[in-house]
Amino acid sequence: MDEAPSGNSQIAAAPSPRVSRHKALDRLYHWLMAICIFILMATAFLPILGFKFEWLDIHWITGVALAVLVIFHIVRAIGWQDWRNMWIGFADIRDLWRNVAHLLGARKTPPLPGKYDAAQKLYHLGVAIVVLSVVGSGLLMLLKIDTPLWRRNPYVFSSDTWGIIYVVHGMAAMTVVAIVIIHLYFALMPESWYLLRAMFRGSISRKEYLEHHDAARWKA
Amino acid sequence: MELFRYSRSIYGGSNQLIGANWDLLPVFVGAAIAFIILHAILSARAKRRRQRSS
Repeated sequence: MDEAPSGNSQIAAAPSPRVSRHKALDRLYHWLMAICIFILMATAFLPILGFKFEWLDIHWITGVALAVLVIFHIVRAIGWQDWRNMWIGFADIRDLWRNVAHLLGARKTPPLPGKYDAAQKLYHLGVAIVVLSVVGSGLLMLLKIDTPLWRRNPYVFSSDTWGIIYVVHGMAAMTVVAIVIIHLYFALMPESWYLLRAMFRGSISRKEYLEHHDAARWKA
Repeated sequence: MELFRYSRSIYGGSNQLIGANWDLLPVFVGAAIAFIILHAILSARAKRRRQRSS
């Protein structure tokens, strides 16, 4: 009777049918940040639009929560994740140009990106600048209110400096409104539904991975 | 349209800068909507071109 051959026959494992995209902690961070941003926009702009209510305490407490979340994200992205996934390199500039060419009809198919495409990376850069501006100026504005931890001191800066801080905060806040509208549009596009599902499930299918991404640029 | 809001200083003198002009909010919203409309039109045209060539 023949025996089954022994030795070092290695059978390559079939790739998993799903590809991990966002860990649970990162999904939680994303949705908590979204909730904070919506609360901040509502407490900032509803009173300006005429809906009067006691908005200040909700606004500054949520602002501090957003600041904590942003610090958490920066530390986690640098220490525990691959920050190079969000780095805008020459390949991304080239991809952006090719995407524009595809939109304008000069190119048949759009290029396949790594984990994030050039537009997503540019969006992230824009959000980072605007959110850091609004959070930074907002934290300075905390000096002008009484909190459980300190008494207000409006004289720490001159009136002119306060004016600049308020301008930065206001302009950044209105930019956040525009950015959120654009983000919702891209998130709800049918072509992006697989990414929206991944922000809940944490993963995409292997088919979606191969169809929408360059496996050499995002190894999964 | 003004970019900033001013108020007169209680100590007299020149106007005091107090923040951004909130009347700009519709401009920011409008810019976002204009970007979306432009992208949607160009995407739809690119999709039709792909379907015609396939």
